This record gives sequence, structure tokens and C-alpha cells, in this order.
Amino acid sequence: MSTVKFAKSHEWARVEGDAVVVGITDYAQKQLGDIVFVDLPKAGTALVRAGQFGTVESTKAASELYAPVSGSVVEINKDLPLNPQWVNEDPMGKGWMIKIKISKVGELSDLMDETVYKDFVAKEAH
Amino acid sequence: MPYILNTDKDRQEMLKAIGVSSPEQLYSQLPQSIRLKQSLDLPRGLSEQQVKQTVESLAARNSTASQLNSFLGAGCYQHYLPAALNFIISQPAFVTAYTPYQPEISQGALQAIYEYQSYICRLTGMDVSNASLFDGASGLAEAALMALRVTARKKILVSSALHPQYRQTLRTYLRGFKFKICEIGVDKQGFTDIGQLRGNIDEDTACVIAQSPNFLGLIEDVAQLSAAAKAKNALLVLSCDGFSLAVLKEPAHFGVDIVCGDGQSLGGALNFGGPSFGFMAVKSDYLRQMPGRIVGRTEDKDGRPAYCLTLQAREQHIRREKATSNICSNQSLNAISAAVYLSLMGSQGLQDAAQACLFNARYLQKKMAGIAGVSFPFSGRFFHEFIWQAKDAVKILKKLYRKDIIAGLAVEKYYPQFNDCVLTCCTEVKSRQDMDDLAAQLEKALNG
Amino acid sequence: MDNQVIFEKGQRGRNNSYIAKPKIDYQGIPRDFLRDSLDLPCLGELEVVRHYAGLARKNFSVDTNFYPLGSCTMKYNPKINEYLSGLSGFCDIHPDQPQDSVQGALEVLFNLEQMLCEITGMKRFTFQPSSGAQGELTGMLMINKCHQANKSKRNKVIVPDSAHGTNPATAAMCGYEIVVVPSTADGLVDIEKLKREVEEPTAAIMLTNPNTLGLFEENILDIARIIHDKGGLLYYDGANFNPLLGITKISLMGFDVIHLNLHKTFSTPHGCGGPGAGAVGVSERLAEFLPAPVVVKNGGKYSFDYRVKNSIGRVRSFYGNFGVLVRAYAYLLRLGSEGLLAVAQNSVINANYIMASLKDIYQPCSARTCMHEVVFSCVKQKERGASALDIAKRLIDFDIHPPTMYFPMIVKEALMVEPTETESKDTLDYFIKCMRDIDKEIDADLAKLKDAPSSAAVKRVDDVKAARSPNLKW
Repeated sequence: MSTVKFAKSHEWARVEGDAVVVGITDYAQKQLGDIVFVDLPKAGTALVRAGQFGTVESTKAASELYAPVSGSVVEINKDLPLNPQWVNEDPMGKGWMIKIKISKVGELSDLMDETVYKDFVAKEAH
Repeated sequence: MPYILNTDKDRQEMLKAIGVSSPEQLYSQLPQSIRLKQSLDLPRGLSEQQVKQTVESLAARNSTASQLNSFLGAGCYQHYLPAALNFIISQPAFVTAYTPYQPEISQGALQAIYEYQSYICRLTGMDVSNASLFDGASGLAEAALMALRVTARKKILVSSALHPQYRQTLRTYLRGFKFKICEIGVDKQGFTDIGQLRGNIDEDTACVIAQSPNFLGLIEDVAQLSAAAKAKNALLVLSCDGFSLAVLKEPAHFGVDIVCGDGQSLGGALNFGGPSFGFMAVKSDYLRQMPGRIVGRTEDKDGRPAYCLTLQAREQHIRREKATSNICSNQSLNAISAAVYLSLMGSQGLQDAAQACLFNARYLQKKMAGIAGVSFPFSGRFFHEFIWQAKDAVKILKKLYRKDIIAGLAVEKYYPQFNDCVLTCCTEVKSRQDMDDLAAQLEKALNG
Repeated sequence: MDNQVIFEKGQRGRNNSYIAKPKIDYQGIPRDFLRDSLDLPCLGELEVVRHYAGLARKNFSVDTNFYPLGSCTMKYNPKINEYLSGLSGFCDIHPDQPQDSVQGALEVLFNLEQMLCEITGMKRFTFQPSSGAQGELTGMLMINKCHQANKSKRNKVIVPDSAHGTNPATAAMCGYEIVVVPSTADGLVDIEKLKREVEEPTAAIMLTNPNTLGLFEENILDIARIIHDKGGLLYYDGANFNPLLGITKISLMGFDVIHLNLHKTFSTPHGCGGPGAGAVGVSERLAEFLPAPVVVKNGGKYSFDYRVKNSIGRVRSFYGNFGVLVRAYAYLLRLGSEGLLAVAQNSVINANYIMASLKDIYQPCSARTCMHEVVFSCVKQKERGASALDIAKRLIDFDIHPPTMYFPMIVKEALMVEPTETESKDTLDYFIKCMRDIDKEIDADLAKLKDAPSSAAVKRVDDVKAARSPNLKW
């Protein structure tokens, strides 16, 4: 069972070896509504924690995507831009967005684990 | 009171329902110090009859372009407008409608705008058009900002052959940013100086901006400009006259990235410069960076074809400070009017009108060439405007004006290197008589 | 046939031949510069007339329907204004004609400026901006240049959280960083929080008053003082000016630069989204930064003056949307001072009547008296299963255009209603009855709302598909 961590900006990061797979959470996709467009960076792009790596758009809102950790983009979900609905249908599975090779392992512990994130969301909903 | 349907009785009933005895009580939250103690110092309201008389007499104090045998162009053109155009576009369902944010009850407006977008794409050859911007000048500025966003570069190259007012507007729009504007001069033939362009373009250039036909009337070598821009991966932004695209090659053919311009020549009256509209059409790659509204065709929940505003996440009401532009209201009715014009003219009609312009302009130029004292500094290909030169041109123009002829626009104030030069435009509305009169009076003015 | 796109109509060979057949002359234009073909439909005039008549039937408009659209001031568009702006003396004049041939046009511009100065208390106006948003840009650029001229480095602009989207978008276009100030539970700008945000880098605050909740910012003089004390300037978004005509002047509230939406307050038509006009007015201090040219009068003669000392430059070509300005001018001649005051008072009476008649079922966003518009929060309806959207769409089945939905963003399930002064009590009573009936339908027959509209040309439109698979041309 791999560790999944969460950022305050509602991205999730699932650890896979020296990298994390990143996407947005179920809460985030519900807030946005039907996703119509996802803009992802190119492989090789260097990212800084909390720096913007892309955008996600619905018909009524647009949201920046922020890197949960620093590193470089090693892979992107190539088919996602053509199937933006995957973000709604399966945000933590088929709707994954990018894979970041971590440069500062320490940053992982600054992210929330699932229970803490669930609490965080519950508070934000009010 | 004009336009107010409520009677005193209505007001009494409403005030009672609200629970106050006078409208004054509804303003109780306003600080006393800002309340006006007396009525506005404006004339009493006139009756409609008086308004009509007053304003009609103001209109009568203007001499129209036809009364004055005007040959003015320079970004605002006289074309023949079919009578049906005004009739169609004056329908209240279009004139008094709101922005089509509620698609179910705005299918008329939405489809009209979708068709307008399609017309612009056919004229320009580009992939996608927006639903209009304010005018050619501000549209050009938005195009520049778009190119800067798309490339993430910091410099733009602008041809001095671009309309002077467009260049001024561009500078104003870029005021709030630290981008660099580099102006490329005009060569001795009246074209954008390609050598200077190649010398100034670099890896930080977001775009090259040019106009064709340019302000001096000449049709630029867009292929050459495109190659120069592509050599440094810069975008090419081309401002053009929509009407001229009836016969001139589609900008898309030359690899132009962003096409823009003023749509006044597509069915607009002179209107003393406004309202008209700005059109913008881009390559599909840049769709999400394009400012302005866009109408898309989709379906309703019963599968019927339906239209709606789309890709709104780019716009101010959603994106706010991150929007592609602050534009909200645009020039919808004028854009729809252009679509109506194109529908009435049809491809044959539009080509006929453009060819009449070509013919007339060349007829006039030939006649003027026969007048001693008139010379033509540029020999290049032109559409319907050309530059001629004569000693003390400004005085000559004044003499002609006293004969109720406006021969053209003196361009010295914009291009000091072209002194004594006049920009003259000759469209399909000019009759043989009009042109002969100009030639005859010009002969007299120059040679007595 | 009624649903066909215009490109599906017509036939090769049809030609209306509006102009005489020309003698072709491509002399001097090489083939490379000419297009090979032009793919436009060939339609007969009757076809075109029917096509657009068909489209017109599928469009709501003020002339056919009530538009209680908050923030848009969808008042009646007087027909005399349409007639006058269509006069040949206005439509057939070229902007570059010698000025003595267009004295009538210049007088319209001059007189309109004088009248708007009197109405707003500002000292000078420019008519170049073609819309409210472009007016905002013009005003903010002037503020920017003013600070620059004073060698004052300011990079922040304050907007309330209730602001219209154009405000922060405009500030960003001027290179400013946006600082958002929250509103109190009452719906007004939070003065205490504002005080903390205003510092040396504050260039300006952008406000509308009444604000987007329809409430008068009664602390406006305090707000003005706070900003001015730190050397900042106040920008007025004139979208909500309708209820204040003849009641107060914008200058008295402390604003330095304003825009008026002539297509809102001053009755010019909306035209499916434009053209409008965003007249921008300034205090004496900012007059030197206006776009050039301005119109001046010397001994009975009018002319354009380009000598504006520190002009920000042009924001568009020529002089602005002249045709729109003629309409606004005629409107002001017709109304006069009394007529304008009646506009303001009736707009406020109408909005408060709606609030009083619906507040038992629809929650007003504030207990305060509203001005010309009232914002309802439909949270109670949402709890019973109907969103603001559902209610708004159901109004269509009663031939009423939906109110503004989900704006301002700080009110949940917002519906913003602005009846304007030109609607009668009968129309308002009809609207009130419909709103009350719809509320009952939520419990009796929710499907009626969820399926609404059922009487329009199309049902609810799949805007998700439109954005996922854009089809933007035929």
C-alpha cells in the first residue's frame, strides 16, 4: 500500500520509489465541476514546491495546479488532455497528471496524510 | 416622466408595501453631506419633438463624406451598404438583447455570432476567431499581449507602416508592463524595412507586428515577414482590412499566427470612427490564450444543435486577475452586422465590390499621373489607397476642400520623411464623375 | 430549414448584384498576393432576411421580455435615440474630415461632456473607451501615470471581495498586484480590515457604490479619507450609478476617476453584448493624463485639442463609439434634471418593492435597505433541492429573463435582481408571483425546475461538451 500525501492546495502525491505521482483530489474535482481542459508541463520541467505546474479548467472555474514537492517532471499522463473527464471520474487513478522525481525528500513530511487532509477539507467546507 | 410607467398611485402602493412614506427614506443611508441640496444644473427635459429638432439640426451642421466628395481612407472606409443590412440589423431582438449568457433564450444571437466567427475564419483562412473586440487598434494591442503571453518573451517588433493610431494604442496598453517595443522603419519603397527587421529580431522577440495593406496603402510581402519571424520562433501578428481579403491572399497561407484588424470595412458606416469592431483570428494552438468571448456549437440535453458561450474560463468573470483580458462587453452588434453584410454580398458581390475598388483607384491614379506636379513616391502593389506627392500638398488640400473635395489625408504629421505626401482612397462608391472632378480641380490647383 | 446555419443555405449563382459590374483591374498585383477562391455562401436577399428573422425569433430582448438582470441596468432603449443616431449627418462623416465640416458632431461630444460633468461632479471626460472595462483600463492607466509623475512607487490595487471580475482583471493589465479586502457580514467593505491593507504601495482602490450587493457603502467618506491619507486614489466603477442620478455626485464621495456605462445608466442598447461606451471622468488633478484628443470650444467653434500635457495616449482609434454617444446625448436632453431624479427614485422604489414582496421566502443578502438592485441568497431553496440556477432557468418558462446568477461570489446561491425604473408595477407583480409560484413548485413538482426551461428554443445546453470538444466555426 503506497503512501499518499496531500497538499493544502488539494493536490495528492503518491510515493513510487524516488518519485511521486501527482493529481488533484476528489474534493477539488467536485469543487470545479465537469473538467473541460487540463494543461500539463513538458517532461523535464524543473519544479519548485508550491510552484505552478499547470492549470485545470471547468466551465465555471479555472484553477492553478501547484507542485506538492520540488523536483523534475519525469512523466506526464499524455492521454489526459484528450480525456479531461478522467479527472472527475477517477481523480486518484486514471486522472493522474504528472510524475515528479523528488529532489528534496524532506518535503514529503510537510504534506498531510489522509486523516489530516480529511479534517482539513471538513473545516474548509465551512 | 419619460419612459417611466409607474404612476403616482403605483408608487404609493409600492412605498406602502415597503413600509416607508417617501422615496427619501430609501436614501437614508447616504451621508447628508453628499446629498445634493438642489437639482442638477441641466436644462429642463425636452419633449421628444424638441429633442428631434435639436439633434437633427446638429446632424445638419455636418457635411457628409458624399456631400464633400471625400477620398479619405486611413482605416475608415466608405463602402456601399445594401439597404437590407440596416433593416436586418435594426431588429429589436438583436439591438435590445443582452449578452447571450443564458443560451436557451439567446440562440439567435449565439448562432449569429457563430456564423460571424465562421465568416472571419473563411476570409482569413485561420483556425478560430473570437466574437469581436472593440476596434482594430485595441484588438492589435490585445494581440500583442497575447503573443507575449504565449511565448513568455519580453520584446515586440512593430512596423512603422502600421496605422499610427494603432501604434499609439499599443504603447498605451503596454504601459503597465516592462515589455520592450522596437519600431521598425519604413523603407524608401514604402514597405516595412525587412533588413532592419532582420537586424533587430532576436530570441527575446515575442512577435513581429505588421499591417497589410499597410498605412501607406501598400500590400506587404507577408511571406517575407513570416520567414523573418519564424527564423527566431517569433509569432507574426498581422493587422489587415477585412474587406481587402475578398481578393487578397488569406493571411493563414503565409503562416500568420494572429490576424486582427478593424471590421468597419465589412458593412460598417463611417460613423465618425465608431462604433465598429475589431476582429481576431488565430491558429488553433493559441485558442486558450485568445481574449474575448467565443461561441461554440454543441447540443442541448435533447440532442438538438445548440450554441453557447464557451471557454469562459479565460475570461474576467471567472479568471479575474488571471484573465486573458479584462474585456466584458464587446461590439457584438457590429460583428453580427458584418456577418449580415457578408451574407447579403455573397462571394461574388464582395469580389465585385473589391474589384471595383481596384479599378477605381487605378483609374484615379492614372488620371492624376497626367497632371504636372503630381508624382508617386511608391511604385509597389496597392489595394485601394495610394500615396501621391505634390509641392505644398497641405495648401493644395485646402484649396480642394474649398471646392467641396476632400482629396485625402496629408501623412506628414505621421511620417516626416514623406513630406508633401497625401494618402488617397478610392472605393467602389466613387463615381467616374467624382474622380474626374478631383483630377480636374487638382490640375487647376496645381497649374492654375 | 429553421435550424440551418447560413452556410447550409444559398446556391452558387445567386447574387444580389448590389453594385454595378466592375471592370476588373489587378494590374500591379502579382498572382502570389491574390487568393485562389473565396468560400462564402451565395444567398438571395430574401433568404438572408428570412434567416435573420428566424434567428430574431429565438432571442429574448428588452423589447420583448423583462430582464431583471442585476448589475446590467436593462432599461428600455428609447426609439428616438435609434432614429437620431442613424441620421446621415452622424453616420456618413469620416473621423479625419476637416473639423469645420463636423461641427455638429463636435458639439454633441462637447455638450455630452458638459452634461456628464454636471451629473457626476467630475471636471473632464473622455469618450474613447468603448466599454466599462476599457473605461476601467483607461482610468487605472491614468492613476498609474499620475503616481509615476509624482515619482511615487506604488504597485498594489485594492478591490473588495464583492468586486466585478473586470476590476481585478483591469488592475492586472496595468501591472498591479491585487489585494482583496473582505466585506462585513452586513455586505459592506470592512473598514478595519481596509485600514490594515492600505500602505505606501497602495496605488488605488476600485469601488462601485452602491456595491454589487445593491447596498450603499455608507462609510464611503471614511474609505476615501483612508486611501487619500496614504496618497492613494479612488476609482469608481459606474455600473451601479442608476440610483444616484440627481441624488448625489460621484465627486462628493471622494472619487478621483470614474467610468460610466452608457449602455447601462444612459439607456443605450446592449446589442447582444455591445457596442457600449465607457465614458471616463476625472478630477482636475487627473485631467492632464486623459487620452488625447479632448474637445474644446473657442468663440463658438469646436475643435479637437491634442495638447494633453501628460496623456496616457490612445486606448483605441478615433474618438470612441460616437453612435452610442449620440444616443446617450439624446437621452439626457429628453430627461433633463427632473427626469434623471425620477430615474433614480423609481429604480430604488422598484427594487425595494421586490425585496419587500419576496423577503419572506427568498433570503435577502442583507437586512439593509437596498438601492436599485437586491441580492437574494437561495440557500433555503437549495436545501429543499433547487439551486439558484434551477430557479433562474424556470423563470424562462414564464417569459422572464433569468436574474444575474452566482454573483457576487460572496453570496451563496445568489440571484441579483435589478428591475430598473422603466418597468411597471404590473410587471413587477408578475415577476413576484412567478418567484412565489416557483418556490412552491420546489416541493410540489421539482422536475419542473430541473427540466427548465421547457418552453425555449432549446433545452439546457451541454456547455461541458462545448468546452471539451470546441466547435467554433462551421
